[in-house]
Amino acid sequence: MEFRYVRAGIVLGGLVALVVTGCATGQKSTMGPAETVAERQRLMKNVGANWADIQAKVKAGNPEAVAANAEAISLHAQRIPGLFPEGSLTDKSKAKPEIWQKWPEFQAAAKNLENRAGTLRDQAVAKDAAAVTTTVGTFGRDACGACHTPFRVPPPQQQPAAPRT
Amino acid sequence: MLASRLSLALLLGVIALPATAGAQAPSAAEIARGKYVFGATGGCGCHTVPNGPVNAGGRKYEGPYGTVFSTNITPDKETGIGGWTDEQIITAIRLGRRPNGERLVPVHPYTVFNGMAEEDVKAVVAFLRTVPAVKRANLPKKTLPMFESVLLPAWLTAFAPRETPPTTVPTSGTARGEYLVRAVAHCGECHTPRTMTMATDNSRFLAGDPKGPENSEIPNITPDPTTGLTWSEEEIADYLGSGNKPDGDVAGGLMGEVIEGTLAGYKDMTKADRLAIARYLKTLPPIKNKIGK
Repeated sequence: MEFRYVRAGIVLGGLVALVVTGCATGQKSTMGPAETVAERQRLMKNVGANWADIQAKVKAGNPEAVAANAEAISLHAQRIPGLFPEGSLTDKSKAKPEIWQKWPEFQAAAKNLENRAGTLRDQAVAKDAAAVTTTVGTFGRDACGACHTPFRVPPPQQQPAAPRT
Repeated sequence: MLASRLSLALLLGVIALPATAGAQAPSAAEIARGKYVFGATGGCGCHTVPNGPVNAGGRKYEGPYGTVFSTNITPDKETGIGGWTDEQIITAIRLGRRPNGERLVPVHPYTVFNGMAEEDVKAVVAFLRTVPAVKRANLPKKTLPMFESVLLPAWLTAFAPRETPPTTVPTSGTARGEYLVRAVAHCGECHTPRTMTMATDNSRFLAGDPKGPENSEIPNITPDPTTGLTWSEEEIADYLGSGNKPDGDVAGGLMGEVIEGTLAGYKDMTKADRLAIARYLKTLPPIKNKIGK
């Protein structure tokens, strides 16, 4: 009986590993620069929509409700380095070539976003309203701006936020 | 009437204090004020290589004039400004002249910084002297032949708009906002389009520049409803303090740098000052100038 569970676990684990590996490698090999740029801009828009939502919730006096948004940002952040394969620059992209010249710094910036969003999520789950408010106070500059400043050409016009999906 | 005379007398007394103090060391309050003004300039970030030692210079700037590097403005006596007198530093900030008479290339916006009040510039100098000294030799500039001797003086005389310092520092209202925007925070250096001579075209003040520094498209921040800045005053003030835009985006590039600053930045301005800036921006003539696609 126990052996059956172990065997099922191994089979399931193997399948998951295969799917994950397939997705990761498949994504890199099938997406062209235009698709990659579109995909990362979609992801960033979603990060922005979540960030706007977080600020709105804090302003509305509901800081404990930001956990889902922070979790979404933290998960998105994990995908950022994979969405910036070398050479994925088109005229629609606002990415700076410095990304690939300073790749470890770029990776660290994405990790920083993931960690800070994770901290924010944990604070919200713990219903620590004061901690959430403090983190949100500097999150834009420390988590987003720390990467936008060196690695992104600023957009000339303000874009409306995309709906959160 | 009596009250206003009394407050004027008090104000004059306060202004006269530093003058009577003579060569005394600056007070902690003056240094703190200097740090505040330093932050309101964006932390003099041009003088700091990102992640490098603060104020030690070495940042590269290229333009039609040639290539220059920002200079070491730490108090190091040999390679910085430690050997300069206060007057010499103020002359460089306001008039773009080194102690040896050499002209600064106006990447350092002295025509604009000339609009800063005397007490603010003095406070900045007092603060600059408290920043750790870094020994770092300035890099040689490469400018066009006769640029400093002929072209630059002619340009300064014929084309460059020059701000004039107020007799007292405006402390509130749109006058405060105007002072911060036009002089201290030097917003026009990036946000105002330039003429063929590279002078800022102040007839289109803050109307955006499609060919701004570092190949950026710099937004129109006049209150034009279709091509300009339509955020509320509160949103503008929040943005200057946090980098957060109402649409969920966050500032980056040079704007991200000046908000963050170095030892201080726009983010360290009081809410009242950030609101004063926002209010002043709302009083600007709206100029239709679409930047970007």
